[in-house]
Amino acid sequence: MKEKLDSLLRDGEQAVLNAKTAEELQKVNSDFLGKQGAISELLKALPKMDAALRPEMGKAINLVKNQLKAKIDERMEEVELLALSVPEDFDCTIPSIAPKSGGLHPITQMCYDLNDAFRSMGFQVFSGPEITSEGYAFDNLNFPENHPARESMDTYWIAGHDSGKAQDKLCLRPHLTGDSVRYMQTHKPPYRFVYPGRVYRNETTDARHERAFFQYEALIVDKDFTFTSGKVMIKTILSKVFGKDVPVRMRAGFFPFVEPGFEIDMGCLVCGGKGCSVCKNVGWIEIMPGGTPHPNVLRSAGLDPDEYTGFYVNIGLDRLVMMRYGVDDVRLFHSGDLRFLKQFR
Amino acid sequence: MKLSLNWIKDYVEIPADMDLSALAHDLTMSTVEVEGAENLAERFEKIIVGEIKEVNPHPNANKLRVCKVDIGDGEIKDIVCGGSNLEIGQKVVVACPGAMVRWHGEGDLVEIKNAELRGVPSFGMICASEEVGLGDLLPSNSDHEIMDVTVFGAKAGTPVSVALGLDDVILEIDNKSMTNRPDLWGHYGIAREIAALYDLPLKPIEKIVPKTTQSLPIEIHDADRCPRYIGAKIEGLGVKPAPFEMQSRIWRVGMRPINALVDVTNYVMLAVGQPTHVFDSNHIIDHVEVRLAKENEKLRLLNDKEITLSTDDLVIADKEGAVALAGVMGGAKDSVLPETDSVILEVANFNSQSVRRTALRYDNRTEASARYEKAIDPERCDQALALAVKLFGEIYPDMKITAFNDNYVKPLERKKIDVEISWLTRRLGKEFPKELVAKKLGIIGFDVDFDGEMMHVTVPTWRSTGDVSIKEDVMEEVARLYGYENFEPTPISITYDGGVNQLDYDLVRKVKEYLAFRADMQEIFTYPWMSDEFVNALFPSTDKMLALATPPSPTERLVRSSLLPNICKVIVKNEHNFEEFDIFEEAKVFIDDDYTSNYKNEKLPCEKRRLGMAFVGKFANISTIFRRAKGVVENMPRYTHMEGFTFKKVEKPCWADGVVWQNIYLGDKKIGDIALLGAKQAKNCGMKVLSAVLVEMDMEEFVPFKSRTNRYERLREFPLNEYDVSFIVDSLVTFDAISTAVMQVATQKPLLRAVKFVDEYKGEKIPQGKKSVTIRLEIGSDEKTLTGAEIDSVANAVMDVIESGLKGEVRRS
Repeated sequence: MKEKLDSLLRDGEQAVLNAKTAEELQKVNSDFLGKQGAISELLKALPKMDAALRPEMGKAINLVKNQLKAKIDERMEEVELLALSVPEDFDCTIPSIAPKSGGLHPITQMCYDLNDAFRSMGFQVFSGPEITSEGYAFDNLNFPENHPARESMDTYWIAGHDSGKAQDKLCLRPHLTGDSVRYMQTHKPPYRFVYPGRVYRNETTDARHERAFFQYEALIVDKDFTFTSGKVMIKTILSKVFGKDVPVRMRAGFFPFVEPGFEIDMGCLVCGGKGCSVCKNVGWIEIMPGGTPHPNVLRSAGLDPDEYTGFYVNIGLDRLVMMRYGVDDVRLFHSGDLRFLKQFR
Repeated sequence: MKLSLNWIKDYVEIPADMDLSALAHDLTMSTVEVEGAENLAERFEKIIVGEIKEVNPHPNANKLRVCKVDIGDGEIKDIVCGGSNLEIGQKVVVACPGAMVRWHGEGDLVEIKNAELRGVPSFGMICASEEVGLGDLLPSNSDHEIMDVTVFGAKAGTPVSVALGLDDVILEIDNKSMTNRPDLWGHYGIAREIAALYDLPLKPIEKIVPKTTQSLPIEIHDADRCPRYIGAKIEGLGVKPAPFEMQSRIWRVGMRPINALVDVTNYVMLAVGQPTHVFDSNHIIDHVEVRLAKENEKLRLLNDKEITLSTDDLVIADKEGAVALAGVMGGAKDSVLPETDSVILEVANFNSQSVRRTALRYDNRTEASARYEKAIDPERCDQALALAVKLFGEIYPDMKITAFNDNYVKPLERKKIDVEISWLTRRLGKEFPKELVAKKLGIIGFDVDFDGEMMHVTVPTWRSTGDVSIKEDVMEEVARLYGYENFEPTPISITYDGGVNQLDYDLVRKVKEYLAFRADMQEIFTYPWMSDEFVNALFPSTDKMLALATPPSPTERLVRSSLLPNICKVIVKNEHNFEEFDIFEEAKVFIDDDYTSNYKNEKLPCEKRRLGMAFVGKFANISTIFRRAKGVVENMPRYTHMEGFTFKKVEKPCWADGVVWQNIYLGDKKIGDIALLGAKQAKNCGMKVLSAVLVEMDMEEFVPFKSRTNRYERLREFPLNEYDVSFIVDSLVTFDAISTAVMQVATQKPLLRAVKFVDEYKGEKIPQGKKSVTIRLEIGSDEKTLTGAEIDSVANAVMDVIESGLKGEVRRS
């Protein structure tokens, strides 16, 4: 009997080891421990045994039963985990599946990046009308009456509204600067605001020239503001755009609506200022005009230029975006070509 | 503008050890942008003077010669040459191996190498003037002539740049950077800036008054247009070449030497920025007058173009008629001719705008008109006259001024500007000692007087024509001469007056970010004008559309009144590259109507911010595409925090398909459309492959929530039961109708919470004109878990309504 029990345990343990799936293990369980199973058969035979041996045998059978049950349970957990195990040949380098996403236009994205930087400094975002009168496009900004920019070879005048003077003459706005006066006329000083948007020039287009392009202007007007604070404003913009501190220099420049006016250069990021073909070997790249609003501009806005002054910059966003992504043809921005636009996500 | 450093040195002693790149940098930072500085000698590297010792025939070529040439220190080389004017003892220009030349003056520069010509080895080449870039300075008389430099007297071996005195540096100035500085358009003006930057003495050009007994008759009829006119009749001249150095200077800065008489006038202009002119005095009848042209008056110009003058043109005339277009170009009749031996020299001042208009009118901008346009001061005539007389005297020792007149009818007044020292300090953010300010300004010709804290500044004549006119200009002068780089950046001080809260701006941005990053759409930019082709395809008329006066092209005159034509253009552009894509554009549209403005005295056409979208894919998937498009619109308010939209079928957009369209409403107001682009319209747009559901919405009507408003809903305690009902119904019964009918049941059976769409099927096994629809009922209570019987009771009531109300055939299980 004892031997029979031992061999039963061995057979059971072997069967457990051989079982590879939960089903096979269930079968082992019922073969040995089930109602009709081998152990049950032995237990059923117990009453027929010698009474003196019964307690010991009963104990021995139960011991085997429990041992076998423990083996099955242990194996069952192993088999369950095995079923969830991933084969070794799983390839983690198969290309990932991207979440679905469209994209903003790269210029919009740049504009929003700048808005975030300026709003963190307490600037408002403003936008004016895209069709403007000559009064706001030129007269208010100290453009002399016969400045070449006013001519139709430079500005898109609106048919039927292209003669007359000042407020009667309408055009697609040739720059944003006119909006600075609009804002100042309708708000109370001091001012800190940006006014990004599209502007339009009658130009022959090529890889570097467009008829519609995006500008970004910022203006501070306050009492006793010096142009040396303007440099801080410029550095803020550039560090936001390029993610690092960029050297900046301001040099003499002339624009009708500023006095003094500056050409603002940034250190060439391609050569680090050593000189290369991109910066024509000077180490600097001209990126924006800026300066103190001309007293006549402040007067148009209803301010006393002896009391108020400020600083203004005008950034060509197309050019900055081109530098940010290495785009070499400005016409791509308005092309609507999705092969191009889908690259910016 | 090009400037010769040697020429500048005539007026200011630049230290020999001055670093040229530092000079370029300093000028750039404080005055004008120096775009480049070229050492002229570098162009002539390895190009030297050689002396021809022998000229021998070439064994294999009739037209070639083999020369023995001394290239210095007695070194004799064989050089093969085809020159027609080779002579023994002649000094020629030899390009040694390594030199860069231009074959026959054409094409790119190429490097000279030791070579064999028709079997004879040749050391470099003997050059014609065009081949070394000297064609304009020393033109050859025929194609095969080589440059003969014997006359320069240089020894063999001398570099050509030294032999010809071309050892110079040419500065290239960006003209745009000095449009406001008429004083800088010549060597003297830049010399003055350099003198100021480095505190060096500037050599004056002293005024002269020629002594003559005879006065030249000059009448000025319009003093505003011609404040000053100096005329000098000079005799004892003749047409001959100018001295080589004068020609060379003119050539170095980019002009072409012509003859001594013309060259003197150009030289004076390049030196002091004052244009001058010479008339052959034999052709000026009686007197000189400066007047406006008469109606239909004609003038043949120096360039032989005959023009009919405008009465707005200022002309120089004699008794018989116009002889020159003042400040722009001389006439053919009076110009310097081969036999000219006496001239009338004109040194005059003309009004900038008058010259500009005339130059533009005849599309004839000249070196002279470009300078006059900048507004030159009339005092500069003195410098020009002095220099011209001196030069004529040098070239023609026997010349005589026989008549002279300085008709200065409108003298220039120097600008006077008062500047408070305290104001200057405030604006510069830095205190400057009065003496320093006075010194800086003094160097560039400003006179400065102090009266306590007030500084009286008198602007020099050459900057009194508009350039410096207000105290800000004076401040700029102080700042730039001190050096912008020497000012430290100062922090921006902030007056905090409340946070910036811009709901409208935020909403536009949120909408765009929602479309891009949640709705998987790509933003596009297009122009504000539209192509006729697409406008005509979409709209029956161009009523209320604005147009450009000078459009980019004749078929792109219309200013956009809708975003859809350009969006369709973009679809056509992309439909061959993608099977499916969704795009959007946010931009302004313009309508020729409702002229108003928020701003002073202005009346602007109606301008609205719009949102346009296109959902593009195959026609077979149009049902899914439409549902996706509508889903994007319907869910926009939820994600962007604004008032929600509803959809109604009220007014079909003109470009829409006959069936697939809805209007988008906000409350009672229609704010947009969503529709399939009609097949005919799509075809007229040139769309060949794909179909598009278009959306256009008026963004100005969007109403942002002031804060987030969706309310918390208590979590359900008892389960919500879903119950699907399928039925066959007439295919024209809309889901809207089904939903309305079913939800009627909720008034009797409040346990019915909602009805949802599951699917719709038309086709096999469903009779023609019918469709099978599956809906899902949500049934539940807030108080208890429902029993099967309670759920069935609600479902049965719904099925009854479908059968009775919608004439549906319910599939009951």
